[in-house]
Amino acid sequence: MAPLLEVNDLRTQIKLREGVVHAVDGVSFQLEPGETLGIVGESGCGKTMTALSIMNLLPTGGHIAGGSIKLNGQELTTLSDEQMRNIRGNEIGMIFQDPLTSLNPTMTVGKQIAEAVALHREVSREQAMDRAAEVLDLVGMPRVRERIKEYPHQFSGGMRQRVMIAMALACEPKLLIADEPTTALDVTIQKQILELIDDLRIRLGMSVILVTHDLGVIAGRADRVAVMYAGRISESTDTETLFNRPRHPYTEALFQALPDKAADAGERLYSIPGLPPDLVNPPAGCRFAARCRYAVDRCREEEPQLVSEVTGHEFRCFYPVGPSERSDTGRLATYNEAPAEAALAGPGIGDVLLDVSHLVKDYAVTKGAVLQRRVGWLSAVADVNFTIRSGETFGLVGESGCGKSTIGKLVVGLEKPTSGSISFEGKDLAKSSGREYRRERRNIQLMFQDSYASLDPRMRAGTLLREPLVIQRLGSKQEQLKKVGEMLDKVGLPRTAADRYPHEFSGGQRQRLGFARALMLQPELIVADEPVSALDVSIQAQVLNMMKELQHDLGLTYLFISHDLGVVRYLSDKIGVMYLGKLVEVGPAEEVYLRPAHPYTKGLLDSAPVADPGAEKAKVSEGVTGELPSAIHPPSGCRFRTRCPFAQAICADVEPPVQRFAGEGHLAACHFPLQTAVGDAVTASAGLPE
Amino acid sequence: MTGYLIRRLLQTIVVTLIVTIITFLLLHLVPGGEVRAILGIRATPLEVRTYSKEWGFDQPLYVQYGKWLWQLMHGNFGFDLKQNAPVSTLIWAALPRTIVLAFIGTGVGLLIGIPLGILQAVRRYSVLDHVVTGIGFLGYGSPTFFVGLLLVQWFAVNLHIFPAFAPSATSIGGILADPVALVLPVATYAFVAFALWSRYMRSSVMDNIVQDYVRTARSKGASERRVLWGHIFRNSLISIVTLLGLQLPVIIGGAIFIEVVFNYPGMGFLFYQAALNTDVQLMLAITVLTTLITILGNLLADIGYAMLDPRVRYT
Repeated sequence: MAPLLEVNDLRTQIKLREGVVHAVDGVSFQLEPGETLGIVGESGCGKTMTALSIMNLLPTGGHIAGGSIKLNGQELTTLSDEQMRNIRGNEIGMIFQDPLTSLNPTMTVGKQIAEAVALHREVSREQAMDRAAEVLDLVGMPRVRERIKEYPHQFSGGMRQRVMIAMALACEPKLLIADEPTTALDVTIQKQILELIDDLRIRLGMSVILVTHDLGVIAGRADRVAVMYAGRISESTDTETLFNRPRHPYTEALFQALPDKAADAGERLYSIPGLPPDLVNPPAGCRFAARCRYAVDRCREEEPQLVSEVTGHEFRCFYPVGPSERSDTGRLATYNEAPAEAALAGPGIGDVLLDVSHLVKDYAVTKGAVLQRRVGWLSAVADVNFTIRSGETFGLVGESGCGKSTIGKLVVGLEKPTSGSISFEGKDLAKSSGREYRRERRNIQLMFQDSYASLDPRMRAGTLLREPLVIQRLGSKQEQLKKVGEMLDKVGLPRTAADRYPHEFSGGQRQRLGFARALMLQPELIVADEPVSALDVSIQAQVLNMMKELQHDLGLTYLFISHDLGVVRYLSDKIGVMYLGKLVEVGPAEEVYLRPAHPYTKGLLDSAPVADPGAEKAKVSEGVTGELPSAIHPPSGCRFRTRCPFAQAICADVEPPVQRFAGEGHLAACHFPLQTAVGDAVTASAGLPE
Repeated sequence: MTGYLIRRLLQTIVVTLIVTIITFLLLHLVPGGEVRAILGIRATPLEVRTYSKEWGFDQPLYVQYGKWLWQLMHGNFGFDLKQNAPVSTLIWAALPRTIVLAFIGTGVGLLIGIPLGILQAVRRYSVLDHVVTGIGFLGYGSPTFFVGLLLVQWFAVNLHIFPAFAPSATSIGGILADPVALVLPVATYAFVAFALWSRYMRSSVMDNIVQDYVRTARSKGASERRVLWGHIFRNSLISIVTLLGLQLPVIIGGAIFIEVVFNYPGMGFLFYQAALNTDVQLMLAITVLTTLITILGNLLADIGYAMLDPRVRYT
């Protein structure tokens, strides 16, 4: 069979003020009908530009400088604008990362889908709307007739992405390009959307190009994978081979940087040093050489070509890793610098540092501009109990909107609890006030997700780091400056960084800076709210390693909030799983991961993609179906019952009691747990005592 | 929406009351009091006393305010003792002029400014963009009276195409009956207005043109024209409508320089005169009117906003 899409030596350039960016630099691949090709790589590697080049939808200043793109034998790069418009949305459909910003906010979804139909088919307005309803039905939209008249903001994230898919598929294209289609979504919704794309691919006989940074997503969905680095394909082969026998050192490093691979939490993650090269002046030789642990002089002088030893497995490296040349283990042991393997013993776990007891946070839902009448309560946190011992890492996981960030805010004191108590070293934080309050606040600091948005762009790093000391009036100016310098050393930033502004740092460096700011007051507890979720895998590994090291050195305690189960598992000693304001399960990390007691925990774990094609294929569970209900009117009884496969009548009537399960401190609240409880049922009102 | 409108109207009443109290108090701080302001510094104390008694200025301030408010609620703006005419007569002579000039001027400004702004955004950083930007800067950089005088010099004095004076009628119909005389004042007004609106529109379209939804529209195969008019245009108008509503009091406040240059006494001129003569009743009336129009402008902006942007729903 002839390939559906042939891309040959594609070169895409973007003209910027500082020069020409060689965003895509000689990329070639083929796509067979019905096949899914995964393009994977870190941000800035050119994967999105490759996808946009196929659609010829490049941003301002971007153009295809060379090469060819053939769809069914037809050359696309030489088409006129009008001919290309005929291809877009008709023969190639595309879906984007953020379904909220990617839909026109002032147009009903029905009209937006109908527009795609009307552009390519000779149909009346009514027929186009009928077709819109048809495809919305196809992508699993409930109550299509009503929802077709609604605007994008009235849909949830997952439903919006379904609208995007419906729009892209309205004209039954032969090729669907999905650019990070699930990056903005929760794992449970991600699984639903990926399954939908897969299902539609088979039913409509399409080919799919799946562009993503997430190796887990690729593992379960792609037939073949192309790994991109610095504008080039560094390795490409079938998914199975790539994950089991990667040949390019970059691919290998990517896998080793994944936290879910480091099963033993004591192991240090491999982090790729440095940053990807500047594509305005790409380096001579192998583009990965500067960050490659195996690089020799030849790599820096001469550029390796794509070669293959086995048909269908191409890679761009003189000294490939993997079994065919050297033995795996011997190689790693020889070249791996010591720290990467050095196990970090966890610091001693001490007494209870933070005791959260019967914590409740309700937000008033108001109506009216003047009088602000209260029309209801949003139950963000509902009777949550947990304790964190000093030196421990407590991971809090759950879908967005489950209340995990609210708990973080309550603990650091940015919000006041509606009821319940938060005790730090035995003292109730809510009861302290004035000077005492301010002094105690030093001990609990917050590390933010988006360090770019959370650092004042008009302040130099040195000023930012000094500010907490100034506010707390600690030490003289000289002492403060000395501390700033020491802190920069600790987080691995050069001392000269003090004079730079936040935008002059890379994402990973900024996150180090954010961490340094949190550490300035020598806190005992750090509340880290999604600290690595905006970072690439290799950078994420650097930050996670740093957090682990400093925990060890400074005896820090972490409340680590994340939606990424792999990261939480890697870092945490104990894990709490939240659902719609409730802590449904808590226990030792390994115990909760390997033997979850609550159906929600299991569903969440099954939804999370694993970077292992075998494991992904073997998954039979659906994950968690449906969407998170509203926290304004949470379901009665067990809040999870509306999405639970085991729910029975009792779940709606009685709130499940908290029970003990095998493993120290392993508790869950469920009427029908996945394993038998070992301890007495503790009443729900008594919460989860230790 | 209805509930929202009712609440907004109630707000209007409260705000207007507060504004009138403040203005009333402020205006009674005129040195020598309001009577002095009317009779002048040469009046004898006896004359002042008699006059005060006759017109009720000897009563406590809150009584005066109460009476004034009572009259206002009956639609009576009071009697202007300075100009010896009912305040409403004075306003009705000036308001239609301002309305005609402001609305036609703003209309023409929008008609030219919005398409130009779009064109500039679509061809940003082109020669055309730079030229229009340059003219725009000239528009709101040069004093209105200077632009007006230049136009009079060229088109009235040198070329004799248009008359140098605006229509002298005081009713809307009367003013519109002499469209040729309106050309120069409107052109002067529109020159400034166009500069403003083209600039706003340019940045609004440029904000929208880089949005993800625009890329989505292109990915469907929509032509650039369709993308612009079907997607970007409506989204870009959202911010323009808001600005337009907020601009309303400025529009009504009158373009005093244009009024002076073209001998066209409107609201701006009236207020200027009132302030110069410490004409308390007239100033009070104009302040109340401006307050009402400001609130109305805000309300219209909010309603227009809700009509264009489905994410905004007032309950």
